[in-house]
Amino acid sequence: MWFYITTILVYGAVDALACLGLNMQFGVAGISNFGFIIFQAAGAYTAAVLSMPPAATSNGGFQQYILGWNLPWPLPWIGAALVGGLIALPFVFLVGKRLRGDFAAVGLLVSAVLLNLLATNYIPFLNGAAGISIVPAPLQSIFDSQGLGYQLAYGGVAILLTIFVYFLLRRITESPYGRSLRAMRDNDVVADSLGKNLRGQRTSILVLGGMVAGLSGGILVGFISLWAPGAWGYAETIVLFAAIIIGGAGNHKGAILGAILVPLGFEEITRFLPPFGSPSLVPALEWVAIGLLIILFLWFRPTGVIPEKRRILSAIVGRAPAVAATGEADASKDNIGAIDDFNFRSVLNTTPVANDHRVILSTQGLTKTFSGVTVVSDVSIAVQQGRLTGMIGPNGAGKSTMMALLAGTLPATSGQIFYDGRDITRVASYKRAQEGLVRTFQLASEFKKLTVLENLVCAIPRQSGDSFLGSLRGRRFWGEQDKNNIERAEEILEGFGLSQYADLYAGGLSGGQRRLVEIMRALLAEPKVLLLDEPMAGVHPNLARKIGNHLTKLVADGMTIVMVEHELSIMDEFCDPVIVLADGKVLAQGTMGELRANSDVVEAYLVG
Amino acid sequence: MSSFGFGLITAAVLAIATVGFTMQFAVTNVLNLAYGSIMINSAYVTYWVNTHGASIWLAMFAGVACGAVVSWFLNRFIYTPFQHKNLIPITLVIVSLGVNLIGTFGLQAIVGGSFVAYKMSQGHEFHILGMLLSGVQLIIFAICAVVLISIHWLLKYTRLGKAMRATSANRNLARNSGVKTQFIISMTWIISGALCGLAGTVFAMNSGVFEATSAEPYIVLLLAAMFLGGPGEPYGAMFGALTIGLATEISAAYIAADYKEVIAFLVLLGMLAFRPFGLFGSEKAL
Repeated sequence: MWFYITTILVYGAVDALACLGLNMQFGVAGISNFGFIIFQAAGAYTAAVLSMPPAATSNGGFQQYILGWNLPWPLPWIGAALVGGLIALPFVFLVGKRLRGDFAAVGLLVSAVLLNLLATNYIPFLNGAAGISIVPAPLQSIFDSQGLGYQLAYGGVAILLTIFVYFLLRRITESPYGRSLRAMRDNDVVADSLGKNLRGQRTSILVLGGMVAGLSGGILVGFISLWAPGAWGYAETIVLFAAIIIGGAGNHKGAILGAILVPLGFEEITRFLPPFGSPSLVPALEWVAIGLLIILFLWFRPTGVIPEKRRILSAIVGRAPAVAATGEADASKDNIGAIDDFNFRSVLNTTPVANDHRVILSTQGLTKTFSGVTVVSDVSIAVQQGRLTGMIGPNGAGKSTMMALLAGTLPATSGQIFYDGRDITRVASYKRAQEGLVRTFQLASEFKKLTVLENLVCAIPRQSGDSFLGSLRGRRFWGEQDKNNIERAEEILEGFGLSQYADLYAGGLSGGQRRLVEIMRALLAEPKVLLLDEPMAGVHPNLARKIGNHLTKLVADGMTIVMVEHELSIMDEFCDPVIVLADGKVLAQGTMGELRANSDVVEAYLVG
Repeated sequence: MSSFGFGLITAAVLAIATVGFTMQFAVTNVLNLAYGSIMINSAYVTYWVNTHGASIWLAMFAGVACGAVVSWFLNRFIYTPFQHKNLIPITLVIVSLGVNLIGTFGLQAIVGGSFVAYKMSQGHEFHILGMLLSGVQLIIFAICAVVLISIHWLLKYTRLGKAMRATSANRNLARNSGVKTQFIISMTWIISGALCGLAGTVFAMNSGVFEATSAEPYIVLLLAAMFLGGPGEPYGAMFGALTIGLATEISAAYIAADYKEVIAFLVLLGMLAFRPFGLFGSEKAL
């Protein structure tokens, strides 16, 4: 009985560790690592060959393997975690920025199949299909590894490590860095445009999850003393995904619950079933059950048994309680009056700059081609500092593509972009954002599963807790600054009259409200040059005018704004100069008055 | 030279399968990772009809029908509803893996784990250009040729095919231009499902013996062939299948049979890393 309990403890800890690691990648950072089992396998093999004697001298050489360093515990476990992390590095090229999430996932899945095939067929490396056996138990030269006390201690250490990993991952998840990871999960292109280094974030989480998986493999192999390719088929990863989906993706408690319900639960329940059918029948039915559970949960309860919790940030005590998110809220009922006497300067942390109207952003022969279709063709423009430059043109003129090229969301096919006197054509978009070139998007781009307040805070640059190491140093290190940032975000939210929505998921807001959140978020990113792509679409006209006035004030204080907008009255009122694009080319440029007098423009746009 | 012959036959089977797979991706934007399980289920339907006395060539139609019906059902009642739920995009891939488990192991639970073979004669052997080919293999070639030419004719010269291409290029634009996209998508799944069922049957024929999990590794070849030619590109799929089919069999002959799929893996990973839009494709607009 007690031996059975120790087995459950160890298996439970191993499964919980694996689920925690995968949940960090999939549930928090949005990396669909379908090859997760590779990392557990790497850890198990590493712990095995580090703790075993050299292959030639042991057991009459009946098995072949590399290393065989005979290292004492805990070195094999440390090695397992390190190799689990290191082996993640080559996979960074698959989860890099440009590849679709499902393609990257398939790449990882296929990598798992490939590596399993190689390990099965190539014997000298890790003894091929037979796998490695008689792996020594940790410290078996000192203790009796078959004794009950030893086994209980083993289970205890495994559980303690799991608890440690749980708190470590939670510390990262609840930090500003964790917020950036969740932002990346919800919308990676937008996170990129706000200065988040996607490749860096994904690399560190891939490595971190790999280390956790490696450790779980090390713990497992020390207990069961054998490891073979049969134990880590690609489908084992699907079991872990099932566990996380059922437990609740994005919630570390859910991951542990999932580990208990699925991998551990299935293993233990079948142990007590009376034998029936052919020997392959029960395993086959188990797989069917896992497939069914995945589909049923995704359909009826995609958030899992313990859904990810909504994070309530608060700096101001006694803020008005959140209203219930019942469908589309009506933007016209919002308290927009407050915006009139709202002072952005205090929130935006900027000191006014005298406007010198030098050229701050310009392009030279900028061209973008998609599958042979030229969308932006040989465009040369110059944007002056301290002006609100408008950009108009008929649908398909290339305005949005132009914004994407300027911000680096899309790479240019040819031509150059200069920012503050420097050629930035090849500078990554997140770096452009960090240097003050910030864009918004034409389509909804909120981080859906972040609250409105989190959406805003997440954009603030230079957060000390917004790095892997910073997050590890804990709340004592970044808490004070974060409180400050939350205050600023709450202030701007109040200025826009949206305080009552602060703690609701941004995905539940109305279209117009989401536009406002996006404008606020872009402003909090502290732009020098702000690229606005149809910011007023869906915003109440009165409010749009007020925002326009504020943009004018920001420009007077030294900000430069380029704004794409269809509403010509807004262009009339606020923008000077205005650039007209048509068919990917600059058609004309000047004040709206001049443009109305230009027959080409009238023909291309104002009429047609 | 004989490995070249094997390569051609592998390529012929793969071409039928990949064209169906890539068409599903083109109109629905789903990587249907359950494709292999539908192949093997169709192969078993063919087997069942075959063992009940029908000739293999007649039974094949039952397999084709099974593939068409199951695929249509899968898209209509699982993938499409999930797409309308607006969950995160990776959900559909996870769902397709779940369907794959249900399809493969549900079949295994029913038919057991033993290998089976069709009742058929391999036909005369022919020496052609130094290759030794059986009559069955020649028939598989012929089927492949007929299928590919029909697909070409369908896409290029029929209203249905043009509507399929329009739907795959831009579903909303196609709908606004009067294409009944829902109907076109259903038709695409029926046709591609029929190809899937046919591919499963000729796959089983070509391997001689098979069991419920035999088609599991096949998804790698499918993906490699599809990505080589560009995802969603039927002509690219034909090219990809030819290349992957030849490459695996020739590497089996000259390197080692155990590693014959490795080349497909490497091609797939290389394509994903460097040219995820295919060898001839180019980046698409956001």
